[in-house]
Amino acid sequence: MLEVQDLHAGYGQVEVLHGLSFSVPKGQVVTLIGSNGAGKTTTMRALSGMIRPRGGTIRLNGRDIAGLDSHAVAREGLAHSPEGRRVFPTLSVEDNLTLGAFPRLTGARPKGDVAADRERAFTLFPRLRERRNQLAGTLSGGEQQMLAMGRALMLRPDILLLDEPSMGLAPKLVEEVFRIIRQLKEERVTMLLVEQFAMAALGVADHAYVLENGRIRFQGPAAQLKSDPAVRAAYLGGH
Amino acid sequence: MTIFLQLVASGVAVGMIYAAIAFGYQLTFATSKTLNFGQGEALALGALFGLTLVPFTGYWLMIPLVLVFGLALGAVVERLAVRPAIKIKSEYGWIMATIALGIIFKNVAENVWGRDDLKFPSPLPETAIEIAGIRVLPMEILIVAGALLMMACVEIFNRKSIWGKAVVATSNDIDAAGLMGIDTKRVITLSYSISAMTAAFAGVLVAPVTLTGATMGAVLALKAFAVAIIGGLESGLGVIVGGLILGIAETLTGFYISTGYKDVPGLILLLVVLSIRPVGLFGKAVIKKV
Repeated sequence: MLEVQDLHAGYGQVEVLHGLSFSVPKGQVVTLIGSNGAGKTTTMRALSGMIRPRGGTIRLNGRDIAGLDSHAVAREGLAHSPEGRRVFPTLSVEDNLTLGAFPRLTGARPKGDVAADRERAFTLFPRLRERRNQLAGTLSGGEQQMLAMGRALMLRPDILLLDEPSMGLAPKLVEEVFRIIRQLKEERVTMLLVEQFAMAALGVADHAYVLENGRIRFQGPAAQLKSDPAVRAAYLGGH
Repeated sequence: MTIFLQLVASGVAVGMIYAAIAFGYQLTFATSKTLNFGQGEALALGALFGLTLVPFTGYWLMIPLVLVFGLALGAVVERLAVRPAIKIKSEYGWIMATIALGIIFKNVAENVWGRDDLKFPSPLPETAIEIAGIRVLPMEILIVAGALLMMACVEIFNRKSIWGKAVVATSNDIDAAGLMGIDTKRVITLSYSISAMTAAFAGVLVAPVTLTGATMGAVLALKAFAVAIIGGLESGLGVIVGGLILGIAETLTGFYISTGYKDVPGLILLLVVLSIRPVGLFGKAVIKKV
């Protein structure tokens, strides 16, 4: 599904990623873990075209998408729910969801039934149904996170990137976010997950990569990394 | 009292023209944080192009053609003057480039239509009608109705159509809009097109009550810029209120003080607003949440 080879990326003069290689197989959940500044969000941004990679290839369904603008990447079937949620504050919840399907509504991707998918998002996130006509800027942080995830799913993506979906949320909402990730996994949605709660991420993922200073330090099946003493000590805070 | 109301009525018509042009500034500022300082030349070109068409099409049929002309003109401005500046992340390049393009447009207009002011045939009777003791030119009513209708149409487009929603999304958060698969470069071009369309339309609305020529838009665009600052670059209601305030203040000053001081209240208002409320009367203070 997604294959990344020797990815280099950064900001200005600073290179953050020094040649990452990893892959996300179809129908699986892969997580990137690592300390702050390891390059997790930079990786996500390079994949979705928010920043231009300096080298390497990113293959989605066999096509190299490295260097494409973010709107072109979305049209290839990659949905990115960004760090900080980034919902459109002056648009209604419903319009935010509709915009998630923009390539489908403008002929860049197969249209399908957009209204039915919006209903599906409301079933997945019942709070959003109650607030469908409310402006997204008036939602709570948790609701905005639900909206950001629902909006990304509206693309009917081949792969879904979730960057820090639990950031800044109350413990109860963190649980809710992970319940939904688990549900999406059961529906065979291919996902790449970046999470500060490494234990929870390893609990839901099939495979994990540990990032350190822009390089992959360890990788393996999530269950195995979860019980690896070295990984636990360095990245999981011993919990 | 009648005189006062009479002056207010004329001020409203002038003010709505300012509002329509200022509305055009807002459209591009929202999506790209840039605006077209050649907006006055877009207005003049729209009016002159309309003037050329009128003998063949009549006034009403000319309007849709001028709107299309405005759309094309806006796209040209964006491609030539704004996109290169955005591309190299030049913070101020677009200012010089849009001013330069405006000067070129003005010179082209002078070569094509001459330097003399031309008379634009009025589509409506040029005798004033009386409403409740106030004499109003039918054309003034058309200006107010036309400007309001045009702003309403753009607003409906933004709220109801998928491309309009893409414009609003781009204004909210350009990076997130890109992630939705929205080609934000095209959205910025679209906003420039709609912006120049509003200016060209304002041109054919105002032309029958003023003179038509290459320089007709310069002062209007400058005052509309003041209106956009007074009302706030983000508020649709703000430009209408700002336009009315400025238009009425001008006609009142022109009559009660001297026509020589006509432009003073607007500038004083601009200075006062800038010093007390820099985001504009209706602007929202930007609070960045972290």
